[in-house]
Amino acid sequence: MAPTGIAAQSTAGGIAPAPPYKAPYTPTADDAVLQDVPSASDPTVRQMRSLRGELDADAGSVVKAQRLAQAYIDYGRQIGDAHYAGYAEAVLAPWLLRASPPVAVSVEYATILQYRHQFAESRRELKRALDADPHNTQAWLTLATLDMVQGDYDTASRDCSQLATNGGYILDIACSGNLRSYIGQAQQSLQLLTQIDAQAQALPAAFRSWLQGLLAESAERLGDWAQAEAHYRKALALTPEDNFLLVAYADFLLDRARPAEVLTLLANSSQSDTAFLRLALAKAALQSPDLPLYTWIMGARFAALTQRGSDYFGREQVRFALYLQHDPQTALDMAKRNWEVQRAPWDARVFLEAAAAARQPRAAAPVLAFLQKTKLQDPVIESVARQIKAGLKSPVVAR
Amino acid sequence: MAVTTCLMSVESQAHSASDAYLTLTVQNPAAAGAAARTIVHGQWDIALRDLDFVLKLDDNGDGKIVWGELRKHQKSVSEFAYGQILFFGDGQACRIEPTRQAVDFHADGAYAALFFDAECDGATKRLTVDYKLFFRIDPSHRGIFVLRSGDKVATAVLSPANAKIDVGL
Repeated sequence: MAPTGIAAQSTAGGIAPAPPYKAPYTPTADDAVLQDVPSASDPTVRQMRSLRGELDADAGSVVKAQRLAQAYIDYGRQIGDAHYAGYAEAVLAPWLLRASPPVAVSVEYATILQYRHQFAESRRELKRALDADPHNTQAWLTLATLDMVQGDYDTASRDCSQLATNGGYILDIACSGNLRSYIGQAQQSLQLLTQIDAQAQALPAAFRSWLQGLLAESAERLGDWAQAEAHYRKALALTPEDNFLLVAYADFLLDRARPAEVLTLLANSSQSDTAFLRLALAKAALQSPDLPLYTWIMGARFAALTQRGSDYFGREQVRFALYLQHDPQTALDMAKRNWEVQRAPWDARVFLEAAAAARQPRAAAPVLAFLQKTKLQDPVIESVARQIKAGLKSPVVAR
Repeated sequence: MAVTTCLMSVESQAHSASDAYLTLTVQNPAAAGAAARTIVHGQWDIALRDLDFVLKLDDNGDGKIVWGELRKHQKSVSEFAYGQILFFGDGQACRIEPTRQAVDFHADGAYAALFFDAECDGATKRLTVDYKLFFRIDPSHRGIFVLRSGDKVATAVLSPANAKIDVGL
């Protein structure tokens, strides 16, 4: 589906459609569809409403608040909608105001902060939780995820080992198995994750899907596309609407020059900004006539983020600037800022791609040093890194 | 095993959170009649997604809000929204006169556009806006505020920490 209420107003096939919004208007037909919203027939939505009812009837119950907040967080992640992180925060707010919130509330709040990329604040909240309860496995796991996304693998390794002490074998292996995919041990990562996957068959679908996603990522590190795709498909069979997975698989398809499949895959996900970017990139790869419309909408969504005071410019905005606005300098500036906050493989990749496009190979020095130190494997990243290094040797472009 | 819900990787954040757009235009004092009062024309765009969360606009629960559903709920939208905002002219409460509702689009979807006039007594020099839309249910909501008065334009981002603002007219 095209963006709700927008497609009908675009000019079909035009090179540069007018901005797709008209002045406020009064629809003429009662059945004119204005907006997709979570459907009341969706079991997850019903579950959230029922948990809300339970909390309303017992407003002082921290357990009921946590349950509702967790349901909101999970659903927001599933559909790629930040509203639900806000709803969860509001549910936890009465306890967050206390001098010492319950540990579980702190950990949930840390997850919300992490989701919003307020990493320093998230870290502070996790430290507070772990000071109060050093055995809290969810806190260690969240901290490990945070350290991994920020590229601090030594610390992440210690966080994972805390899981072995406190949480048990499976979480520890999943954590360190994931970690190994970033430090030149993707083959071991695959082996470890495969091993626990075999033991996880009785565990919830969300957990098995998460493992399959990690396996796909590790296979990608090794350039084993067939295996990566098989894991993405298994993961999506378990959790078909998971926005994070859909977007990761869409990136895989874009890299394999299969943009048409991205349009099908994300047909119902255009409200998620991360998914929308992949739709726009697929439109670009297909040289679709409505690419200008998609680019315009994506730009307007980023502009709205800026307008509301978000100072976060992530890898999505780098890709938007680089591949849809064709503005390598802006992309590189954003990539540098993003690198201060996140250092996952995709962050390294967009930085290198922006530096290459801007013909500023020296700007990529921090990433090259990081790759050398961590020994990250990734055929796509290695290829851009080689290109950058060649540029460094060439007096024509090095500056 | 207890920990199975929250294992996901850190996702890129760029997904729309809740925004509303409050655009005010101060009517030329001469047109308001010898400055016996000050009239501020307002357009307040509130996302249907947000309104649905609070007011349940999707009557048949099919996951789509159609115009017929919104039309039926216009009164409750109006009652809810105008209970979330106060205007003061030089410290004196202004009256809010809703004029009409329409549909507007922003990059992330459809909005109810609420048009109103805020009428303040006297020649107002300082307008105070006290805004609390959705803050109780979603502290990450932001009100994108723009005020035009003659040649002047004032902007602000309304948030729980910046819910009450003063603007010189």
